[in-house]
Amino acid sequence: MKSAGAPTVFIIDDDRGMRQSIQDLVESVGLHAESFATSGEFLKRKRTNDPSCLVLDVRLPQMSGLDFQRQLAESGMQIPIIFVTAHGDVPMSVRALKSGAVEFLTKPFRDQDLLDAIQQALQRDRAEQEQQAEINDLQERYGALTAREQQVMALVVSGMLNKQIASEIGASEATVKIHRGNVMRKMQAGSVVDLVRMDDKLKLSPRK
Amino acid sequence: MAAEDVQKTLEELSRELQESKARLEEAQRIAQVGHYYWNLIENRVIWSDELYRIYGLSPQKDPIDMAICREMIHPEDREFVFRTAEEALHSEARPDIEHRVVRPDGEVRTVHALGTVKRDASGRPYEMFGTVQDITERKRAEEALQQTQIYLREGQRLARMGSWAFNDSGLYWSDELYQIFGLDPGNGAPTVEQHLAIIHPQDRASMAETIQTMFQQHCGCDITKRIVRPDGQLRYVRCVAIPVIEQGVFKGLRGSAMDVTEQELLTQELRRQQAYLAEAQSLTHVGSWACNFLTGKMFHLSDEALRLYGFDSDSPGISFERLYNATHPEDEPALREQFYRAINARKDYDLEYRIYRPDGTIRCLRSLGHHDPAQEIGEYIGITMDITERKLSEAEHEKLRQLEADLAHINRVNMMGELAAALAHEIKQPIAASITSANTCLRWLAHDPPNLERARAAAARTEREGNRAADVINRLRSFYKKGTPPKREMVDMRAVILEMAALLQTEAIRYSVAIHSAVDADTPKILVDRVQLQQVFMNLMLNAIEAMKDTGGALTITARPNSQGQIVVSISDTGVGLPQESTEQIFDAFHTTKPEGTGMGLAITRSIVESHGGRVWANANQGAGATFHFTLPVEGEAHA
Repeated sequence: MKSAGAPTVFIIDDDRGMRQSIQDLVESVGLHAESFATSGEFLKRKRTNDPSCLVLDVRLPQMSGLDFQRQLAESGMQIPIIFVTAHGDVPMSVRALKSGAVEFLTKPFRDQDLLDAIQQALQRDRAEQEQQAEINDLQERYGALTAREQQVMALVVSGMLNKQIASEIGASEATVKIHRGNVMRKMQAGSVVDLVRMDDKLKLSPRK
Repeated sequence: MAAEDVQKTLEELSRELQESKARLEEAQRIAQVGHYYWNLIENRVIWSDELYRIYGLSPQKDPIDMAICREMIHPEDREFVFRTAEEALHSEARPDIEHRVVRPDGEVRTVHALGTVKRDASGRPYEMFGTVQDITERKRAEEALQQTQIYLREGQRLARMGSWAFNDSGLYWSDELYQIFGLDPGNGAPTVEQHLAIIHPQDRASMAETIQTMFQQHCGCDITKRIVRPDGQLRYVRCVAIPVIEQGVFKGLRGSAMDVTEQELLTQELRRQQAYLAEAQSLTHVGSWACNFLTGKMFHLSDEALRLYGFDSDSPGISFERLYNATHPEDEPALREQFYRAINARKDYDLEYRIYRPDGTIRCLRSLGHHDPAQEIGEYIGITMDITERKLSEAEHEKLRQLEADLAHINRVNMMGELAAALAHEIKQPIAASITSANTCLRWLAHDPPNLERARAAAARTEREGNRAADVINRLRSFYKKGTPPKREMVDMRAVILEMAALLQTEAIRYSVAIHSAVDADTPKILVDRVQLQQVFMNLMLNAIEAMKDTGGALTITARPNSQGQIVVSISDTGVGLPQESTEQIFDAFHTTKPEGTGMGLAITRSIVESHGGRVWANANQGAGATFHFTLPVEGEAHA
């Protein structure tokens, strides 16, 4: 039904009427939506790499939405979450937002507020995914370097000159030049500044 | 010598002989000694008069027939007597025997016979001479004495009683006395020092003193002391002594000693048991008794039984009647009837009744009586116990149970906040769904071209969710209709305040709030629904504590009648005080200044107070805090 690459809005709410209403609302703006009564049902659904977000009721039958949010984060599943609740209070919303929720809406909410939040969430997910793709790419390139080249890259990034690197690794300056050339080519870095930026991104992201 | 002189001499001699003979006979008669000659040559026996008398015969001059003589000796002794006589003839032995004779009238006498055999120059015996003494009386006395001694010894042994005497001739101890003290009779009676050494160290000094007193004051004693026998056994010995005084002169002491160990141990055991029993009775407030209800005769009445009735345990002769008359007049007729029924049926009973003690206090007693059908009718043995505390605690328990039930109700009411929150969620859910669906419907219609199918579905859902919200509210209304109608009763305001203060004590302590109440004891009772009144106090007192929870403080409750026939109750705190807005508004439903509040507490309070015909208001205190007041009419007027 939905074309590949199109975003999906997931809805988890134990109240059938609420679930259906939100799904219908999302669909009315042309987005693909899937709804679940419990968090368990949602986890069974196989995820794709397409952008997505989650509209989550705070009060769920098995575990609270806030606990589920934490569980998702711990299992490394990154998905932007919009909380909706009929019984929210200030501390609860603060906690949710601190844990990375996109929005915290109290029922009944303005339809546009939810739709705006969904758009924001999907955008965030998309950016997240792009960034992740870039990191994956960089990691691939980095993985293609030999051990000697990775060593040389680390020393280049730290700001050493070829002569210094040569004495550091116990090789001739000419050899260092060759390694350095290989690093720049394989990493597709246009300049040392470019390489430093790549190195930063690699260090920030978890090794796969 | 002249013939007449001779004649005279002969006459004199004859007379002297006669006198001598008469004296001899007299002596023989007094001593009951007879004599005999036995001419062995002629085999003739001559008896003296006294001998005849000893044998119960009339004296005669002629020789006595040996056959008669033999016949009269007791058959069991006959052979022995003649054999002894025969032996005497053939030896140098002098017969010295005792034997019995049987008198013609059948009386048996015991005699002591001595004999001597006379022989001629060739050594041939020609005569036996002897004396026979009647020793029957002496013999009997001897036997009697012997018997008495045997009895005495046996008696002493059986009774474990020894006797002793101390006089000029020294100290005498009976065999049994040695036994009692575990001493060897062969060593003789112990000296005073030896005696004291056997006495138990704790009794020794007093015994020494007693002995000294007896000798100095010539008096007796009756004491029980402990001795430690040489073999280490401890025995209790009762010593009784009396002074021997002859013609006003102190001659010594005589006494007995009896081993009373078993009795003493039994007595001690009995005393101990009695003490335990008395202790048990006094601890459990159970008294025991035995009596005949028909005759009113008491056979037994324990101290505790007396105490149950408020008498001292040493008050003498409390009669059955007196105890019975203590029965509470309201309980007496039923008690009497049940008594008689049990007595006539010869059955056991188990009754509860109240009594008045002499000091006027009322106690509840339970009496259990057992009748043994083998006994006289009306005879019962039983126990009586004080069940006043139990009765009171039962009443107390019932009161607590009631309070608990009431509080469960209050808690239910107190859960209003929770309930309201839950309801909000229940209602918000369908309303939110309904609103979202309505908006969605509009969105489907706004499509170009409008998606009518989806718009219709959304509109249908809007209606369905709207109805769902209405259903929740309808359910809530029917839930409230089930509430119980108020139940009015005469309630002691003071008791309710004390109850609530006790109930909220934990809460108050948690926030360092001290609860004081000042209510006159003569505050009149009012006609209210007790549970609702408790709710009012609960709400106002919790509010007060809430207002002081960051600072602590004092919560003061006063209740006093005013001139309009009302009781004014004031609940005052030293907390944050009242909000700036109108103090009337705080009683409106859902008006709350607290983040956790439901805004129902004061609204409910006002509703309850006004339904009882009262009024509730609040004002800020001069110092810190606020005071809430409410009035309730003494003549409970219903505005339900």
